[in-house]
Amino acid sequence: MGFGTLTFLGIVVVLVVWFVSIYNKLVTLKNRYVNAFAQIEVQLKRRYDLIPNLIETAKGYLAHERGTLEAVVSARNQAVAGLAAAAKDPGNAGAMEQLGRAEGALGGALGRLNVVMEAYPDLKANQNMMQLSEELTSTENRVAFARQAYNDQVTSYNTYKQTFPPVLLAAFLGHGADASLLEFADHAAIQEAPKVKF
Amino acid sequence: MDFFAAQDRARRKTFQLVLLFAIAIVGLIVATNLLVGVVVALSTTAGLVDPGAMLRSQPTQTWVVISLGVLICIGGASLYKYLALRSGGRAIAEMLGARQIAPGTQALDERRLLNVIEEMSIASGVHVPAVYRIDEDGINAFAAGFGTDDAVVCVTKGTLERLNREELQGVIGHEFSHVLNGDSRLNLRLIALLNGILFIGLVGRILLRSNTTGSSRRNSGGAAVLALGVGLIAIGAAGTLCGNLIKAAVSRQREFLADAASVQFTRNPHGIANALKKIGGSTNGSMLANAHAHEASHMFFSQAVKLFFGSMMATHPPLPERIRAIEPSWDGQYIAGTPIVEMSDTPDGAAGFVDGVPADAPSNVVAAVGNPTTASIARAQGLIAGLPPHSVEAARDPWGACALVYAMLLPQSDAGRRRLLEMLEPHVLAHLDDVEPTLVGLDDTQRLTLVALACPALMTLSHPQYERFVADVVALIRADRRIDLFEWVMHRVLLKSLKPHFEGAHSPAVRYRDFAALQGQVAETLSAIVRAGGHSSDAQQRAFAAGAAAVELDLQFAPSDDVNFNRLNDALRELRGLHPLAKPRLIKGCAACALTDGVSPSERALLIGIAATLDCPLPPDLALPA
Repeated sequence: MGFGTLTFLGIVVVLVVWFVSIYNKLVTLKNRYVNAFAQIEVQLKRRYDLIPNLIETAKGYLAHERGTLEAVVSARNQAVAGLAAAAKDPGNAGAMEQLGRAEGALGGALGRLNVVMEAYPDLKANQNMMQLSEELTSTENRVAFARQAYNDQVTSYNTYKQTFPPVLLAAFLGHGADASLLEFADHAAIQEAPKVKF
Repeated sequence: MDFFAAQDRARRKTFQLVLLFAIAIVGLIVATNLLVGVVVALSTTAGLVDPGAMLRSQPTQTWVVISLGVLICIGGASLYKYLALRSGGRAIAEMLGARQIAPGTQALDERRLLNVIEEMSIASGVHVPAVYRIDEDGINAFAAGFGTDDAVVCVTKGTLERLNREELQGVIGHEFSHVLNGDSRLNLRLIALLNGILFIGLVGRILLRSNTTGSSRRNSGGAAVLALGVGLIAIGAAGTLCGNLIKAAVSRQREFLADAASVQFTRNPHGIANALKKIGGSTNGSMLANAHAHEASHMFFSQAVKLFFGSMMATHPPLPERIRAIEPSWDGQYIAGTPIVEMSDTPDGAAGFVDGVPADAPSNVVAAVGNPTTASIARAQGLIAGLPPHSVEAARDPWGACALVYAMLLPQSDAGRRRLLEMLEPHVLAHLDDVEPTLVGLDDTQRLTLVALACPALMTLSHPQYERFVADVVALIRADRRIDLFEWVMHRVLLKSLKPHFEGAHSPAVRYRDFAALQGQVAETLSAIVRAGGHSSDAQQRAFAAGAAAVELDLQFAPSDDVNFNRLNDALRELRGLHPLAKPRLIKGCAACALTDGVSPSERALLIGIAATLDCPLPPDLALPA
């Protein structure tokens, strides 16, 4: 027994503390992006809850445009399913991609509905419809902001995981896969009237 | 409850705590040395024959090495935990794997809880904290944080489902009182210190594991390591015992005090009493299965982990005692805490408490600090109900919250407004048109209430979003090259609430025991209040004299119409380091200045801003005479 033992012990302590701190930080950063996803979920749920009401209001006016309406309903249901799957495992590459595609499809379907509505000024002037449209736009913006926050948290998790020394331990500690960002197709681009360029 | 005396008592308890901890370390060092001695003696034939002689022949270096080793383990582990807790209350919630409840949630049970917490925060004069939930059936809750700035509240699923609104209020009132009187700071420190003691057991477990997987069991050296591992685990258990004894000594009495404070706050003993009865009447009670519950067991509302070795180690007084202390006529029957099917979110009428605490004398203002009452809750409910619903909805959403703050700071006139709009965050800008109209006609108190409500949503911003937000806010304030009073108060309140969450929390160190070195700073503060009143020079002199008399200092003053906020910031930075027992005098002086010749709205806002900066939360029902 001597100072050799002491140094050995000191090294053990330092190693253990180092291990524990890396593990805890990985867990913390992961929880932060999971929490951030929960914020997106709240906004997306709100968005999806608006759509049945929208369809009901539009049905009366758009008797001959059943196809467009049905496309919106089915896209919405796909998106709801995609959200439920993603909420179970935020950051999972497959789930995030599926949700992104579903949201993009929904945005496309809503865009087409908008185009169709241009031909029905009565519907456009309907109070309920105006309010719903405005709320929908509002949720889109909220989702965009929440998505930005989520992607920031995912990036900081991935960056920490890839730096040295956590990169040595991450896979061993159960944090092997990088978390996946959430990308949506750009709705605004779909809804904007095409600009003529010279 | 005397807010300042409570803060002081909490600080003195910390010294007690450190002392107990030092004794525990000494005990553990002695125990480890003994253990090693026994192992060495028993592992050699010479030792078995005559242990005494063998031990005496060991060089003293051995014992020194062992003692230093123990010290390193404990010190290292405590230091690590202390650093890990730098993010404040949020670190505890994250350690327990809790999930933050979205501020804009519409789930009825969560919405009800958030409404209760919003009311109590506004009533206490603090910003609304981030709220977390743990998905377990036991009925329990905690509030953690170094102070009101970084505090978080966390409840279990059982609490959300089984308690009605009145009972929720009782529990949250209890937790708020822990934060307001400095208990939560003490509790965080306990976790850091105790982590060191528990670490030894952890090292033992590692040694044990490495020994069983190694091949060294054949020789006696392997057996010795095994014995050492087992021994260290035993010492670790002893360490846990010490730790729990310390926790019990420090925290048990405070639970009674917090229960009493909650009753004073809500003026309703039944809420918290029924909550306790429901804990007694449900299968899981308040037990938590979470692996980390042991570390934070002293922070919970009720006993969270099973007791071994009887009630000496209990972190909380026994349930029946607690219930009798609140309801002496209790019949001994618990209530079955079945999940509530029909949830109601209507606040129970605190009707009849419309008038606030008359703050006609400076001593009343001092007494009101950190002392919310039922009237405060009624006033808070009224304030929140009086806000346009659309603005409240926006405040509970991060995007809307940013837009609200921008809208409050944007100049109304076109000059320069367009230039500013170009500079701000585009996503938030899109929401501005929606949010700005809701602010028309709101006075400063209502705007500050909205800011307080917006804090949890702002805390869900990512770091880059937060930095952009702060940059935009500063740009908006600097735009007209003057800082006006409302901008100053807003900036102080926002920074104070958000900085600990994003940049790390710490409890302000006490640097000054009295006013000896702070005369200039006190004069600056009192001058600011006096000048903000918009009174004539003579009136200003009188107000200042009243303030100086209340503070019992001889101070200089020059009348002016401008308040220099930069100098005020510097002065307040120093004054924050005042000892808690010295702060009442300062608040008295500020109040005396403001109360001379009636209180203008600017003086009122400034008083609130200054009190907040000094960590002296003022309830909103302070009826300052207009």
